[in-house]
Amino acid sequence: MSAFYLTALQMALCLGPMAMGIFISMKVFNIPDITTDGSYTLGATVTAVLLTSNTPVWLVLPISICAGAMAGTITGFIHTKLGIDALLSGILVMTALYSVNLMILGRSNIPLVDIDSIFNKIPFSSNEQYNQLLIALLFVGCVLAIIIYLLRTDFGITMRATGNNPIMSKAMGVNNDSIKIIGLAMSNGLTASSGFLVAQYQGFTDINMGIGIVITGLGSVLIADTISKWTNIRKIGKQIMLVVIGCIAFQSVLAFTLSIGIDPNLLKMVTALFVLLIVALPRISKSFAKN
Amino acid sequence: MIQFKHISKIYNKGKEDEVAALSNLNLNINKGEFVVIIGTNGSGKSTVLNLLLGTINPTEGAININNHDITSLPSFKRSQWISMVFQNPAHGTAHDLSILENFRLASLRAGKKGLQIGINNSFRKTIEEKVSSLGMGLEKKLDQPMGSLSGGQRQALTLLMGVMDKTDILLMDEPTAALDPKSSQVVMQLADKINKELGITIMLVTHSMKDALHFGNRLLMFHGGQVIRDLNQTDKSTLQLSHLQEWFS
Repeated sequence: MSAFYLTALQMALCLGPMAMGIFISMKVFNIPDITTDGSYTLGATVTAVLLTSNTPVWLVLPISICAGAMAGTITGFIHTKLGIDALLSGILVMTALYSVNLMILGRSNIPLVDIDSIFNKIPFSSNEQYNQLLIALLFVGCVLAIIIYLLRTDFGITMRATGNNPIMSKAMGVNNDSIKIIGLAMSNGLTASSGFLVAQYQGFTDINMGIGIVITGLGSVLIADTISKWTNIRKIGKQIMLVVIGCIAFQSVLAFTLSIGIDPNLLKMVTALFVLLIVALPRISKSFAKN
Repeated sequence: MIQFKHISKIYNKGKEDEVAALSNLNLNINKGEFVVIIGTNGSGKSTVLNLLLGTINPTEGAININNHDITSLPSFKRSQWISMVFQNPAHGTAHDLSILENFRLASLRAGKKGLQIGINNSFRKTIEEKVSSLGMGLEKKLDQPMGSLSGGQRQALTLLMGVMDKTDILLMDEPTAALDPKSSQVVMQLADKINKELGITIMLVTHSMKDALHFGNRLLMFHGGQVIRDLNQTDKSTLQLSHLQEWFS
C-alpha cells in the first residue's frame, strides 16, 4: 500500500469514533448536531495540554472524552430544557467552544513532539507507520465493540426508539429529554476521542483543526446509509460498522483527489462536493430509473 | 380507580380561539371496567384520554389513579399504570426497530432500561407465543422492522405490547379508525379478551356505533365537554343501534 493511502487509512481510523458519534446524533436521535466541530477540537486541546504537562496517556483519554461529553450535555440541555432548536443549540455551543478551546490552549496551537503518545506506547510493529495503523485499528475496534453492544442493550433499544418515535417512547415510560442529553453526551464524547487520536497522530493541536470536521463525519454516515440501503442491511451493529467503512471511503476519495494533483486549497470544496454527490445520488438514480 | 375531580380544560385560554373542551367533569371509573366513550367531534372525549395520559394538563381540577394524585405527573411517569393504543398505528410502534425490539421496550415500560441485552432465546420464545395467538403469522417475522407491517398488524401488536408489562389501564383512542373491517375486528376482539382475561381497565373512544354496542360494560356519551349519558352493562344491553343514532341527531 502506498504511503499516501496508508496515511488516509490511518486518518480514517482516527476519525472513526467521530463518525460513529455523528451516526448516534444524526441517525439514532435524528438530531443534526453541529457541536462536533467544537468538541473535536476540545478533545485535541485537552489532550495537547495534558500530554505536554506529562499526564499519562491512559488518563488523558477519559478526561478528553469527559470534556467532549460535557459539551454534548450542554447542547442537549439547551435543546431539551430550554426548547431551542437542536441545530441552533449545537451552533451556540460550538461557537462558545472556540473561546473555551483557545483559553485551554493558551495560544493558537501546541506542537506534540517527543511526547509519550498512544502511538508509541504499544510496540506492535517495528515499522512506525504500521504500528500507528494497528493502534488506530485496535482503538476503533474497541470503540466499535462497545457501541455495538450498547445499541443492542435495553438502554440502546430505548435510545433508538426515542429517535425513531418519541411519542411511542414516551408512552413506554422513557424520559425523552434525559435520553437525548445522554445521547448527545455520548456522541460528543466519541468525537472528542477522535480529537485525542488525531492530535497525537498529526503531532499538534490547532485551534482551527475542527472547522468543517462535521462534514467529514456526515459524509461517512451518508456513505454508510447509502450502502446499507443498497445492500438492505438493517442490523444496527452492521450499520455502525459501515460508518467506519464510510469514513475510510471518504478519506480515500480525498487521498485520491490529492494524488491526481488537485490543489490542496480546493480540498474543502472537493469534500463538500463529494458529500453533495452522495446525498444527491439516490435522487438522481431514481429520476434516471423513472425516465 | 380513576377519578376525575372537577376537571376543566380550556384550550388557548384568553385568546380569540379559546375553546372549552371539558367543564367541571366529575367521573369515577372502577377497576376492570371496559368503558366505551362516544360523542360528537369536539365533545371532549379524546381530551379525557389525553388528560389521563398526561400529554395535556387540566386547566382546573385533579386526576387520581389508585388514590395517587397524578395531575402534575409527567407523561412518561404515568406509564407505570397506563398504556395507550393511538388512533394512528404508526404512533404506537418504532418503525425502524424490529418487532422483537419493540416488544422488548414494551416489556420494560414500567421497569429499568439497563445495560443488559434483554433479547435472548427465552424472550424470543415468549414473544413468539404471544404473537402467534393473533393468528396473523407474524411470529415468523419477529426480526423484521415494524415499519414493514400493515396498519392493522401494527395496531394488533401495539395492543399486545400494551399488556406486556404490568399495567392497570389501557387507553384506546379510535384504534380502528384507520383499519379495514377485518383488522378492526381482530383489534376489538383482542381488547375484549384483554379486559376479560387480565381484568385490565379499558377506556375506548370510538366513532363506531357498532363497536360501542358490542364491546364494553359501560357507555359514556360526551357532549359539550360533559357526560350526558352514563349507561351500565344492564342499560347498555337493551340499547339498539337506532337509539345511538337518535342521540346523535
